[in-house]
Order: sequence, then C-alpha cells, then structure tokens
Amino acid sequence: MDRRRLLVALAIVLGIVLIAVAAVYWAEPARSLPSFFPGHQAGSSHHHVKHGIASFLVGLACFAFAWFNTGPKKSRPTS
Amino acid sequence: MPISYFQGAMLGLLQGVSELFPVSSLGHSVILPKLVGWNIHQKDPYFLTFLVATHLATAIVLLGFFWRDWVRIVKGLGRSLRDREIAPGDTDAKLGWLLVVGTIPAGILGLTLQDQLRNIFASPQYASIFLALNGAVLFGAELLRRRAPATDADDDARIARTVGWRDSVLVGAAQAIALIPGFSRSGASMGGGLLVGLSHKDAARFAFLLATPIIGAAAVLKVPELAGSQGNGVRGPAALGALCSAVTAYLAIRFLMRYFETRTLTPFAVYCAAAGTAAAIYFAVS
Repeated sequence: MDRRRLLVALAIVLGIVLIAVAAVYWAEPARSLPSFFPGHQAGSSHHHVKHGIASFLVGLACFAFAWFNTGPKKSRPTS
Repeated sequence: MPISYFQGAMLGLLQGVSELFPVSSLGHSVILPKLVGWNIHQKDPYFLTFLVATHLATAIVLLGFFWRDWVRIVKGLGRSLRDREIAPGDTDAKLGWLLVVGTIPAGILGLTLQDQLRNIFASPQYASIFLALNGAVLFGAELLRRRAPATDADDDARIARTVGWRDSVLVGAAQAIALIPGFSRSGASMGGGLLVGLSHKDAARFAFLLATPIIGAAAVLKVPELAGSQGNGVRGPAALGALCSAVTAYLAIRFLMRYFETRTLTPFAVYCAAAGTAAAIYFAVS
C-alpha cells in the first residue's frame, strides 16, 4: 500500500473513531465516560456536549481529507 | 441585580472594542471592574452569562461585516468538495479550507484548556501582568515579521497564496493564548499572520475571518445558559451590553480595516505594556 492510500485509510478509521467518540460524549454523563476520555469526572452527571461537537467536527475533517485524497487527478486553474 | 444597567453598558462598550483591537477583551473585563471598584466577580456564572451575550453580539457583527466574503468562501468550500480538489486558482476554496484548518486547533485547545486556564488566571493581578506581556508579544511580532511582497492582487488571493496549511494551523493555535486573560486573540492571530509573511491589512483580515466561527460557536453553545436560570437577573443588562458591544465592534472593525492599511501593531503594543504595567503596580500597592 503506498503512502497516500495509507493516509486515506488512517483518516477514514480516525474519522469513524472520532464520530463514535462524539456519540459517547453526547450519550453518557461525565461519570460514565471511560477514564481515559478528557472530561471524565467521577460522580458528575454533566454531559460534555462541546467535547462531542469538537470530536464530531474533527471526525468530519478527517473524512474531508480522505475525500480530497481519493478524488480524480485534475489540476487546471479556474481563472 | 448582580450587574447594573450602567455597568452592563460600560462593559459592553469595552467588550466590543477590545475583542477586535489586539488588546485582550477578557483581560480588560477582568481588570476594569477591579480598577473602578465594582463588585463583579469574574468567575461567577452570571458574569460568564453576561459575556456570552456580548460575545454573541460581536460574532454577529463580524459575520455581518464580512457577509459577502463568507458567502463566497462557503461557495468555494462547496465547489471544492464537489470537485474533490482545491483548484489552483480557486482563492475562495483555499481560503475556506485555511480557515477550517486554523479553526480546528483553536477549537480543540479552547475546549480542553478553557476552564482550567480561566480558573487559574482570572484575577486582575494576573490579567494585568499578562496584558503587559501581550504588549511584548505584539512588539515581538513586529520585530520578527517577514516583509510582505507588494502585489496588486486582491486581499484573499494574497492570503491564500501566502498562508500555507501548516501556517494556518500555527496561526489558529496561537489564538489559544487568548484563553489566558490579558492575552489577545486578535493580537495573537495578527502576530502569527505577520510572522508567516502577511501584510498588516491581510493579517487583520485573516484574523477577523478566523475569529468569527470561534467567537460565534463559543457564544452559541452557551446561549442556553443565558436563557436558563443562570440568566436570571442579568438578561436586561446583558441585552444592553450586547447592543453596546455590537455598536463598538462595528466601529472598531471599520476603523481597524482602514488603520492596518498603513499602520502597525506598535501603538497597541505600547498601550498593552503601559496599561498592564500600571495596573499591575496599582494592584500590588493597593
């Protein structure tokens, strides 16, 4: 597998993971988050909505990276 | 009432100017109440709720001021996604993705560090010291800046050509220093822009475009707090503060876009160094 394909595969996997992490942030209160998650706090019922949004958006950015790197090669100035 | 209408108006006027001038709005909103003897505690939920309203107003003004640019940029983003490439001559698409790439580190650092940094440093004493250091940062940016080549291309074309992906990440991440009261978000991003080779005018434009989604998103996410019980007792002053903030933010952005066509960050650096030092000495001896 060449380097570009490897990066695309990594971006897709990372994107899926980050969107799954976002879902966990939205669904679970801080006390129920895995202890290695930023924002985990024993006894807290707070939902880290913003952490979830950030994770979701970075996940989308990973997909965008993969999208651009799998497009057809065509480089012509438009103007 | 935790904040009077007069205090709300004054803080709103100050917020609108200092959010866009490279002089730290948060630092000023921490230092000023202490200097004039107002009994406002910056860590209290009602004050944070008040700040949400003024930030939201500033973000709306920024969005309105650059509305046509944002429409072009969003169309450019859509075009690049459709074509699955950023065409070499597509300035709007390149600028749009530079803004996306620059916003990600600022957003992540903001989310992860905001509460800790503000809890530690949200005191007038710290803010005054950091305001003086902000002056040093602005001086440093002026000293180290690369000379921007004089070209007659339009603003966005110059920015898109000069700023690389890594530069955009660095400029975006530099905004995170503004999580510490006393350091300026726009100062950090303008300074970063100068270091990567933008002119003052282009650095200011890029900084304002970069600031819009961050300020807007931070404010929108906290709007439920303004509407909820935390907003009780401050909604009236917050609305007045937001209105005042919107007026001064509009005037500030108009002024700065003309100012940076010919001038530098140096006067702001002098102001921050002098005001920060004077306030630090005052708090130390009083």
